[in-house]
Amino acid sequence: MNNTISKYYPLIPVLGAYLIMFLIGFIMPGMWQMVALLAFYCALGQSWNIFMGMTGYVDFGYVTFIALGTYGMSLGISYFSQYEWLGVGIIAIGFIFALFLASLSALLEAFIALRLRGAYFAIACIGINEGLRYFIEGAKIWGGSEGIIFFGALTQALGRDTVNQLTSFWADFSVFIIAALAAFLNMYYMRSKIGYALTAVREDEDAAKVMGINTNKYKTIAFLTSGWLGAGVGAMAWGLKLGYVYPGDVFVIHYTVECIVVVLLGGAGTLLGPVVGGLIYGLSKYWLAVIMPGFQLLIFAPIIIIIIVAAPEGVVGLMKRRLKGTKLEMFIE
Amino acid sequence: MFMSLLKLENITKRFGGLVAVDKVSLEIQAGELIGIVGPNGSGKTTLFNVISGVYPPEEGKVIFEGKDITRLPAYKRAPLGLGRTFQIPRPFSSASVRENVAIGAMFGTLSGKVSVDDSLEIADRYIELVGIKAHKDKESGTLTPVEKKMMEIARALAMKPKLLLMDEAMAGMNPKDIDSMVQFIKRIKEEEGIAIVSMVEHIMRAVVGLAERVVVMNFGAKLVDAGTEEALTDPRVVEVYLGHPPDESKWKSEIWKK
Repeated sequence: MNNTISKYYPLIPVLGAYLIMFLIGFIMPGMWQMVALLAFYCALGQSWNIFMGMTGYVDFGYVTFIALGTYGMSLGISYFSQYEWLGVGIIAIGFIFALFLASLSALLEAFIALRLRGAYFAIACIGINEGLRYFIEGAKIWGGSEGIIFFGALTQALGRDTVNQLTSFWADFSVFIIAALAAFLNMYYMRSKIGYALTAVREDEDAAKVMGINTNKYKTIAFLTSGWLGAGVGAMAWGLKLGYVYPGDVFVIHYTVECIVVVLLGGAGTLLGPVVGGLIYGLSKYWLAVIMPGFQLLIFAPIIIIIIVAAPEGVVGLMKRRLKGTKLEMFIE
Repeated sequence: MFMSLLKLENITKRFGGLVAVDKVSLEIQAGELIGIVGPNGSGKTTLFNVISGVYPPEEGKVIFEGKDITRLPAYKRAPLGLGRTFQIPRPFSSASVRENVAIGAMFGTLSGKVSVDDSLEIADRYIELVGIKAHKDKESGTLTPVEKKMMEIARALAMKPKLLLMDEAMAGMNPKDIDSMVQFIKRIKEEEGIAIVSMVEHIMRAVVGLAERVVVMNFGAKLVDAGTEEALTDPRVVEVYLGHPPDESKWKSEIWKK
């Protein structure tokens, strides 16, 4: 029994970090926006890492899930806000829409793209992302390029005060919850058959098949989980918080690149990595934008290059190596 | 009715114009120890790949315990009881030795019946059996080639197979290691009660000590399938290896000297 619990010790620093971030934002005035931004990066990194870290497949089209999550929330609210008796339930409906759209896209992508490997997989994912964007704009579905603006409908249905609270606190708070959930799922997968199967897939997919591992099944599980979490973040941090969605705003590869940077900085395939990476990336982006607006990328790019060269396994990878054999080892994964 | 463990019927596998395996039929009974011998490029590994489901054959059937598995994907064959090792070891490098072997237990014939913890226990047992206990928690990528081979055998055994295909288990070993490997393979065959097909390119020392029956392949076709002594002294086999009809008495004494 003791053994079972101690297997989950690496969750402690991760959840601890999220709790501290939340408390700082909650108690210290004026910090909430920054903490929300950090939570956003941590949550995305953690979600993306479930698939990339465990399988070794680099999903360049990950932003598709975030975008579809945003669309799910927007559609849910704009269709159902006319039913007054639903109350805040429309947000739950929006969230379910988000998960549904993400599932559809994940299964479709899994069917098409997961048969490919390496660069081909990455390119296929970018293609699906761009294709979806132009399909929405060109076929004029879901408002086409004009997008969906549902802030008014939301205010009408729930009242100004509730909406204010939702967008300024609950949307960000739920990102924390999703980040914690992502960490928990990642840990659970690592310790279960899924984790072992995906390790085999990552190291040698053909050998894994001969060992009796249904590689497609396990890859799809990780892909779907990762997609759901991404859609959840999109639904809350972009959909609910902003009250509108434009295809040109959400299907942007730039956000996938941010996920990659966060994960590589912290350490791919590690549990704590996305948190550390998210903090480093989010904080530097935030402060650089304050100190010298417009120059942040110019400064940030070399920093990333230095870290990647000096610590290719990421900060947490380096920490893990340093702590090997010490008592702290069991807390870092 | 008497049923063989594995039955190959007229297996043909082509790569473009090259016929890698040419109408090979073979029957393997439960608990048998068979050596597959043949020069480089004679289709041994291709045959193994067809049996373990890496690719389907163009013609012929693979029948395992009476069930046609010719079109079955590789990952569905392992749980039926087909285990294998690779010519060049293919460890899951970033995972520890223990985790590697546990993966075998998890997805082999015990698939769905054992928990992760059970699998790790099974792994410990086989790691000890193959004698690499000292390296249990090492990253498998850091092992020496021989240790990697032993780990692969442990991983395949942890799958609890009915038939174990060993691809060049003894390549690159010195005579002393080969002898102990031969003893080891015989022992696990008895202890685990499994059929073993061991593939050997040219180390006759290994074949002679090991197999009860030898299948000799040449240019993708089955040349001889007989008892070890008979097969290895067959003039056709000798010709494959030496390139000319031999002085029979000399050849025989050479082999059996040991």
